[in-house]
Amino acid sequence: MTALTRINEARSTPLATGSLNGILRVLTCGSVDDGKSTLIGRLLWDASDLFDDQRATLERGRRIDGGHPDYSLLVDGLVAEREQGITIDIAWRYFDTATRRFVVIDSPGHEQYTRNMASGASHADVAIMLVDARAGIKKQTKRHAAILDLVGLKRVVLAVNKMDLAGWSEQRFREIERDFKAIAARFHFDDAVAIPVSAALGDNVARPSDMMDWYRGPTLLSHLESLPSRGAEAAGPFRMPVQTVLRQGVDFRGLAGTVSSGAIHVGDPVVDPVSGRAANVKRIATFDGDLQRAAVGQAIVLQLDADIDMSRGAILAAAEGRPHAARDLDTHLVWLSDTPFDTDNGYLLRTATDLVPVSAMEITSRLDLETLAEHPASTCAANDIVLARISLGRPTALDLFLKAGETGSFMLVDPISGATVAGGVVTELAEAEPKGARKAGVFVLSRDNLECGLCADLGGGAADQVEFRRRANEVALLLSAAGIAVELDLQS
Amino acid sequence: MSAPLSHLDLLEAESIHIFREAAAQFRKPVLMYSIGKDSTVLLHLARKAFFPEKPPFSLLHVDTTWKFREMIAFRDKTARDLGLELIVHTNQDGLARGINPIDHAPSVYTDVMKTAALKQALDMHGFDAAFGGARRDEEASRAKERVFSFRAAGHRWDPRKQRPEMWRLLNGRLGSGETARVFPLSNWTEKDVWRYLAREKLDVVPLYFAAMRPTVERNGQLLVVDDERFKLKPGEHVEARRVRFRTLGCYPLTAAVGSEASDIEGVVAETLAARTSERVGRLIDHDQSGAMEKKKQEGYF
Ligand SMILES: Nc1nc2c(ncn2[C@@H]2O[C@H](COP(=O)(O)OP(=O)(O)O)[C@@H](O)[C@H]2O)c(=O)[nH]1
Repeated sequence: MTALTRINEARSTPLATGSLNGILRVLTCGSVDDGKSTLIGRLLWDASDLFDDQRATLERGRRIDGGHPDYSLLVDGLVAEREQGITIDIAWRYFDTATRRFVVIDSPGHEQYTRNMASGASHADVAIMLVDARAGIKKQTKRHAAILDLVGLKRVVLAVNKMDLAGWSEQRFREIERDFKAIAARFHFDDAVAIPVSAALGDNVARPSDMMDWYRGPTLLSHLESLPSRGAEAAGPFRMPVQTVLRQGVDFRGLAGTVSSGAIHVGDPVVDPVSGRAANVKRIATFDGDLQRAAVGQAIVLQLDADIDMSRGAILAAAEGRPHAARDLDTHLVWLSDTPFDTDNGYLLRTATDLVPVSAMEITSRLDLETLAEHPASTCAANDIVLARISLGRPTALDLFLKAGETGSFMLVDPISGATVAGGVVTELAEAEPKGARKAGVFVLSRDNLECGLCADLGGGAADQVEFRRRANEVALLLSAAGIAVELDLQS
Repeated sequence: MSAPLSHLDLLEAESIHIFREAAAQFRKPVLMYSIGKDSTVLLHLARKAFFPEKPPFSLLHVDTTWKFREMIAFRDKTARDLGLELIVHTNQDGLARGINPIDHAPSVYTDVMKTAALKQALDMHGFDAAFGGARRDEEASRAKERVFSFRAAGHRWDPRKQRPEMWRLLNGRLGSGETARVFPLSNWTEKDVWRYLAREKLDVVPLYFAAMRPTVERNGQLLVVDDERFKLKPGEHVEARRVRFRTLGCYPLTAAVGSEASDIEGVVAETLAARTSERVGRLIDHDQSGAMEKKKQEGYF
């Protein structure tokens, strides 16, 4: 037991902690009418601490088929969507079982909502994919799996629903299970299981089915309860994107951030991959006292034993297998905006805490989500998943997504409207080239250029340097929007 | 290896992360301080996020002049104790027109004294982002709310223009005329708020604890009489009952519940065993179906 947990236990009453065993975020996806709303409603009804007024609403509501309440009524949404009779956004729902907090993220399954599903899936720890036992795996099951894989989901469950309408047939279930395993094997999932259920009747949802004694696996709920909680796995290299610098007096300069991968101890060496400078961790500070160790998911303030002048946008990392100071990246991205990609637009790349102007971007191919084949392409629009090559106006710290997800993912931002136009993951990285080896025809915006005019009013203080970077970014952006390839060189 | 973080530890860390992102990305944020339990948690998390510094923003309270007196006293003491600047704003025009929750429909009152007042305050001080304590579990239309929620010029919320959020990334770049609302408690539930108040031993307004109070029963709900502005309808009479509030809104619009819970442990116990969701106690939400969503489109927080 760590000092932190001991402190937490000491200061909490038994009642107050309710000692929930962590949080699990569950994405649900399926086609219309496969029974997604019924399944979520059923989980809430059987397994959770639902309120009486919510139960009463359901009892009052219309009844279906076998005379059971319409569980899908527990899952309502925006007025416009109710009127259209279709869920088009992602909705978040929370419930506690006796041991765990569940967060259900509900996303639509239609092809025109690929972007909603991708953004919903990016927040999840596990996905429940739903199919109707009578129809089995459809083309879109493969598409869904591809989207889940793209955003980094490692665990998937196939709920084979409406088993009551398929005569509770083991043979039918095994066929579907086999098809599912074949698809899952093509992706990076660690864990893919199929469970036969009837959402409407509750079989194998929260209680074992009496109708399917041939099935010996867990119910959907007990499977979900067995998966590790968010933040429980501190595997992976240490990473902490720096959000801000917090000071106290002249002696304390702390780098504040959330550990995004791995763990760190007092005394451990860390590096800034962009400057290459290294130091050791002197203190791990929090409002509730210093820690000896912090792991993924914890929000902390790190004090280093040497001032290596890092600020927001940098990533503190373990020296071994550090992130790259990246300038050119190959990416997979899902286009989120209604406005298609435009080479003349100019974009900003938002990493965990940095915002970097894109100096050049090229779409190379589009992914056909049903065949998983890549077709050459140069354009992309809403819901497309494409491969794109991106060059940055200055190097920033990035990881390969499969190595460290949070520091290997990004969003593309429209500089004028501020809109988030795409979400992406890094698949390949080229280290920034050494100085002097620049490509011809690229304008280099240097610290000297900026200091003599635009930034002449700024000094060397921390706040002024933040403003310096902001102005440099904006100038680079305007130039690239005007068609001039530009690189920023802000090293002094 | 150490034990995994509890769900409250995870929620706390996530909120701190959101506070730090917003403070770094927005030019002039403000914390909407509404005195209730959610605001208390919000403020506490802000203190944790910027430790050892003070939170780099002020507190803003939109005062409808219809808050319980105990709330105002608690507000002033909190700001003083923490050494934070407190901005109190009231819609003077609405006050002059005599808009109040007794003679006017809840929708009109909320519109003028809350929605319009908030817009005035944000515009007047040039705030480009406001932290609020809203939670996704509160109401169906909030189940889809973003952590960074954007308002077009005029503070209008357009459900179709909300930015997709992915992973832990938060994009706070504003378009022209836009402002943002930031919800660090998005993923908390009512139970979490109480559990956390107990765990962190935080003070809340005493109205949250059961005590004998002068009450009136109306439409099956218990209203508390705080001063002489309460008007009795024919047949109604004031009766002392042991009650507490699950949520604190405007007097006399917020209903109390009968309760024996006179301290935080008692409230946590009652809340964990609660049988009704908290918004049942807030009369404005029963106005019309989808009421909250309409209010949001008009700029209500
Ligand atoms: N017989 C049977 N009907 C089901 C089952 N699950 C869902 N349904 C019905 O299938 C229809 C579609 O369900 P719904 O939950 O609205 O599907 P969604 O569009 O995926 O959210 C409804 O009429 C449900 O009552 C099941 O397990 N068995």
